[in-house]
Amino acid sequence: MTASNPSIRGQRDGASAQAAESGSGTDAEQKAADQLRQRIASQFRRSLHIRTLDTGSCAACEQEIRLLAAPHYDLHRLGLFFTPAPRHADLLMVTGPAIRAFDVAARKTYEAMPGPKIVVATGACALGGVYPSDAFMHGSVSEILPVDVWIPGCPPSPLALLQGLLVAVDRLAEKVADLTFAADGPTVEVPE
Amino acid sequence: MTLWFLRGLRRGVVTTWYPARPDSSAASLPTPPVFRADVLDRATADRLVEVCPSRALRRESDTLIFDLGACTACGRCQDAAPEAATPSGEFELAATSRAHLVKRIPLLREARS
Repeated sequence: MTASNPSIRGQRDGASAQAAESGSGTDAEQKAADQLRQRIASQFRRSLHIRTLDTGSCAACEQEIRLLAAPHYDLHRLGLFFTPAPRHADLLMVTGPAIRAFDVAARKTYEAMPGPKIVVATGACALGGVYPSDAFMHGSVSEILPVDVWIPGCPPSPLALLQGLLVAVDRLAEKVADLTFAADGPTVEVPE
Repeated sequence: MTLWFLRGLRRGVVTTWYPARPDSSAASLPTPPVFRADVLDRATADRLVEVCPSRALRRESDTLIFDLGACTACGRCQDAAPEAATPSGEFELAATSRAHLVKRIPLLREARS
């Protein structure tokens, strides 16, 4: 990261370094970090350009991402666009388990993006769910890039991707933090 | 493509209204399981951990730890113990923190007969 290219990571790393130094008052810093994130997200609310990055995925995630531009999902209606150039991109959508052979390309792509920028880890591989860290891959995108939003799924459906993108630009609230995935009685859907 | 075109002519609009309105196709998506805390005991939990191909489940004494980020919604736990795991129907799973995706499900202290 160059000094002339401030990014979310630089600002966030600074905040966490301060938190580590003071040892307390993390609530205030958390609040400041949230405010900063909201301010950045508000810049992208009406227009966001997305660059996808495949770090060794099976291409199932790419198929679902491609469907976002199809008539049924039509992400352009929401002000979201795909761009082939990282220099034009505000958001980096990363799929795959971050294979080590892709380190240089991933770093160059991230550094080519103008700040502020958002990184979205897409799919179970990118989230570190499928492959372990070994000689060939890092096993999780968060090992090589500062991830802001995680979208689970194998692959995530276009609707899930759409929700993830809207969460990333603060147009939808995150829902999963409040879900327990534990039920005390029979759930509504019982498979027959 | 022709089908989409005809459907568009018939219904006017093919594009989903999501997120303003729920999408009708969401009901048929494969979704991660929701676990019955009143049914799950250690033995059942161990069975589920055993069948999970993506290591999304693990057990720590009386807690089943479910990593949604690793779950591929393959449905094997739902086949192995249909009484304990059912589809959640939840697809809006994007998280701003990886830790939000790790769920802790309390287990029954005594084994179920």
